[in-house]
Amino acid sequence: MSHSAAPIEMGQGPGAARHLRQAATFVAPLVVLFLCWPLLVSAFGVDARVFPGVKAVFAAAVESVSDGSLLAHVAASLGRVAAGTLLAVVVAVPLGVAMGVNAGVSAFLTPLFRFFSVLAGIAWIPIATLWFGYGFGAITFVIFNAVFFIVAYNTLLGVTAIPMRLRHAAASLGASRLAMVTEVLLPGALPNIVTGIRTGLGFAWRGLIAAEMIATNVGLGYMLFVARDFYRTEVIVLGMIVIGILWLLIDRLILAPLERATIERWGVVQRA
Amino acid sequence: MKSLTLRNLHKTYFDPAVGTRVTAIQDVSLEIGPGEFVAVVGPAGCGKSTILNMVAGFLPATRGDIIVGDRPVKGPGRDRGVVFQNFALLPWKTVIDNVGFGLKMRGIAKPERDRIAMEFLELAGLSHAAERYPNELSGGMQQRAGVVRALANEPDVLLMDEPFASVDAQTRMTLQEELMRIWGERRHTVLFITHDVGEAVFLADRVVVLSKGHVLREIPITIPRPRG
Ligand SMILES: Nc1ncnc2c1ncn2[C@@H]1O[C@H](COP(=O)(O)OP(=O)(O)O)[C@@H](O)[C@H]1O
Ligand SMILES: [Mg+2]
Repeated sequence: MSHSAAPIEMGQGPGAARHLRQAATFVAPLVVLFLCWPLLVSAFGVDARVFPGVKAVFAAAVESVSDGSLLAHVAASLGRVAAGTLLAVVVAVPLGVAMGVNAGVSAFLTPLFRFFSVLAGIAWIPIATLWFGYGFGAITFVIFNAVFFIVAYNTLLGVTAIPMRLRHAAASLGASRLAMVTEVLLPGALPNIVTGIRTGLGFAWRGLIAAEMIATNVGLGYMLFVARDFYRTEVIVLGMIVIGILWLLIDRLILAPLERATIERWGVVQRA
Repeated sequence: MKSLTLRNLHKTYFDPAVGTRVTAIQDVSLEIGPGEFVAVVGPAGCGKSTILNMVAGFLPATRGDIIVGDRPVKGPGRDRGVVFQNFALLPWKTVIDNVGFGLKMRGIAKPERDRIAMEFLELAGLSHAAERYPNELSGGMQQRAGVVRALANEPDVLLMDEPFASVDAQTRMTLQEELMRIWGERRHTVLFITHDVGEAVFLADRVVVLSKGHVLREIPITIPRPRG
């Protein structure tokens, strides 16, 4: 679909400048922290086995990039998150829609889904390793649960928040049950679904790192955990930096804009 | 066009506040001939929307019959086009896609339904806004879209629940005149709900006065059209 620029949209120039300013405000404190780090380490004479210097971390970065190990860990972690999330969304969205159309079912399931949403990933790790052993199954299960309950709950919420008059309007225009789902319920719930995915992925990412520390032999969590055994604080800190930056990139560059776009486009103002 | 018949219609709601059933509609009978424009007037809470929602099939009647042509009403259907007070346009669809929605539900291909929808948008003076989203339009424009969305689906009966109550007075007059122009050309059977007696008299062939859930009286309006 192509649209002529709507009058309420802002021009390219001011929007881009605003984004740049926002990005700068976000990055500046991180840069300050980064600059203070070597000063603090040298001022207090911190031992490398307690906390590494910048040079050591940089060297560890160069080494793990050139021998391909960092890429392997990152790829393993991202792959697991993608697989678990995809699976969870594919199951949660249809389920959430199905539950949302029935008031009784949704009233019954809403508290359950809220309860399981609170468990958010990490709490599932012990039982996951009991059920699936150490490996792909347990980790995927943890990610799946982190995303599944939150997305199902949000989908349910989104569907029940669609004004009844919109469903009535579609029905009186001849919408079948399937069309009601694809033309009204799914698009109507989409902003909530995207919010659910964003929140769920946040928990999944944390849960993943934790699960990788005990249940596997590759991945960013595993990288941290093994480095600890060898007092390689520079590798630990490198891993922490990568974990944080990867999530910020995923969240800021993909999820947040996606969420904003659906909410703006879908005109939530209309619901008031 | 088809006739619309309401026969001994009753509706009781369960009121959780009181814990008992309350009667909203009591023995309402009404015969609207093919191509006739009937307005139902009455104060807020007298049961106007309840009647319309039952006719639209959104709400089951407690007792009584609703018949379009010779078919009893069971649930919503495209034989009855509905225009809502708050427009009820799908916010994630452009105006032209909203107007073409009923056609899409009938399986009409995109180019054809865009062509038909565009004709109706022109009828409502909205062709310039075809690619806009509802929340980018004024209330008056949204309701123009709401009216032609119902018309584009070629219903036998048009049901309108205070359609012009949420726009300003100036726009309301324009919309009333436009509705008369369109109705004059197409002669739909219309059930029009309003709390505004002036509006009812301006638009309708017959005004039905509703009070506390029952019909108080029916008044034929014989003023020749166009009325001013
Ligand atoms: N879902 C409902 N449950 C209980 N009472 C209702 C419900 N809907 C409407 N009523 C009651 O029925 C009466 C008629 O309402 P309504 O048809 O909306 O009136 P109007 O459209 O004329 O303002 C009112 O007293 C209202 O409080
Ligand atoms: Mg009403």
